[in-house]
Amino acid sequence: MILIVNTTTDTSITAEIRELNKDVEIIEAGAMKISNCIGCNYCWLKTPGVCSIHDDYEQILKKIIVADQLWVISDTALGFIDHKGKNIFDRIMPVVTMNLKFKGKQMRHIMRYDKRTDVGIIYTGDADREYLERWNSRAALNFDSNSLGVFPVSEIKEAVSCMY
Amino acid sequence: MHVLIINGSPRVKKFSNTDKIIARFAEGFCENGNTVDVFEVSDRKQWDDIRAAFAVNKDIIIALPLYVECIPGLLLEFLETVDPKNDGTKLSFILQSGFAEGAQLRCGEAYLEKLAGYLGCEYGGTLVKGDNFSIRLTESEDQDRQTVPYRQMGVVFAGKGSFDDEECRKFTGPEEFPLMVRLLIGFVFRTLAKKNFTKASQAWGCDKPLDYRPYGQEN
Ligand SMILES: Cc1cc2nc3c(=O)[nH]c(=O)nc-3n(C[C@H](O)[C@H](O)[C@H](O)COP(=O)(O)O)c2cc1C
Repeated sequence: MILIVNTTTDTSITAEIRELNKDVEIIEAGAMKISNCIGCNYCWLKTPGVCSIHDDYEQILKKIIVADQLWVISDTALGFIDHKGKNIFDRIMPVVTMNLKFKGKQMRHIMRYDKRTDVGIIYTGDADREYLERWNSRAALNFDSNSLGVFPVSEIKEAVSCMY
Repeated sequence: MHVLIINGSPRVKKFSNTDKIIARFAEGFCENGNTVDVFEVSDRKQWDDIRAAFAVNKDIIIALPLYVECIPGLLLEFLETVDPKNDGTKLSFILQSGFAEGAQLRCGEAYLEKLAGYLGCEYGGTLVKGDNFSIRLTESEDQDRQTVPYRQMGVVFAGKGSFDDEECRKFTGPEEFPLMVRLLIGFVFRTLAKKNFTKASQAWGCDKPLDYRPYGQEN
């Protein structure tokens, strides 16, 4: 399953994706109530796998754990995805466990589920694309998956060509 | 010298590892009559005051935990509301994280250097160190072992006015561990660390295994 989480309020982006590829599941999160992660660690230590914040992110998390691909559509700020986009990543933490191991030369969390979800970003506005590419690759390492790349909305066709 | 220190952690002050690190750092920094003001981004009620302090201070440190390889969403949300400066302000960072190797923090560090520019500040360097996850789970001497070394970094910052210093670079520790050390730590992860985390979890009232799958075993 290919999951697209649109954290912007511009639904023309998702409409275009849908036109190019019918086989995607889209969540319009732009107007949803999604808190930042508060770092309580409950998802690792108190209620393993369950976030203590019961807001609209819960339905997104339940989809992520069965998705082959996660695409986050985000506005940008300070050269990076904005806080609404970043919160989608910070709140993914319930998919990893507190248990650690070495993967290659670096420490990683042991994953909670069998599914591996590759991650990609589609962004509006100005961002440091080179840095975003680097960051997204690092972020994917944390979920034992791969980066699908980072695309400005002007290159949406290139992004959609990776959705299979 | 007076420094504004902003704790960029989303975790409440009481449980924030960054808070304990800032306290030690400030001990060293204030030794010779220097002063600090400390604010917490986790407390939204402080945001107006932090913005006001950010506007008037010329020496600022943002201390933060690494969150998925970069800055926490909440800190980003706050910084999106800050007016860029362009008045010669020096912005330095204390970046700390859970994983222990220096290499884990480099992607976050690279962003902080750019961030200083976006905020119209001169970059005063970043003090980089991991292996801080368990500060909140420890007390007294065990916690001191992790936090006290930051006192000396406060002394160095007081002398230099930045983290652009050999002693600060060394403070990071190894970029990656050699194979023998990885095997050893890997063994500790599977045994002692696992046991300790399970114990901490039970103390928090958890009756499930740490690798529990709440949304179905088949997933
Ligand atoms: C959502 C989230 C993401 C994190 N991401 C990373 C990471 O990418 N790398 C890492 O080494 N530690 C990571 N950590 C661990 C924190 O950086 C570490 O526990 C830190 O000491 C917390 O400081 P605080 O108590 O002041 O928030 C993460 C923690 C949370 C809650």
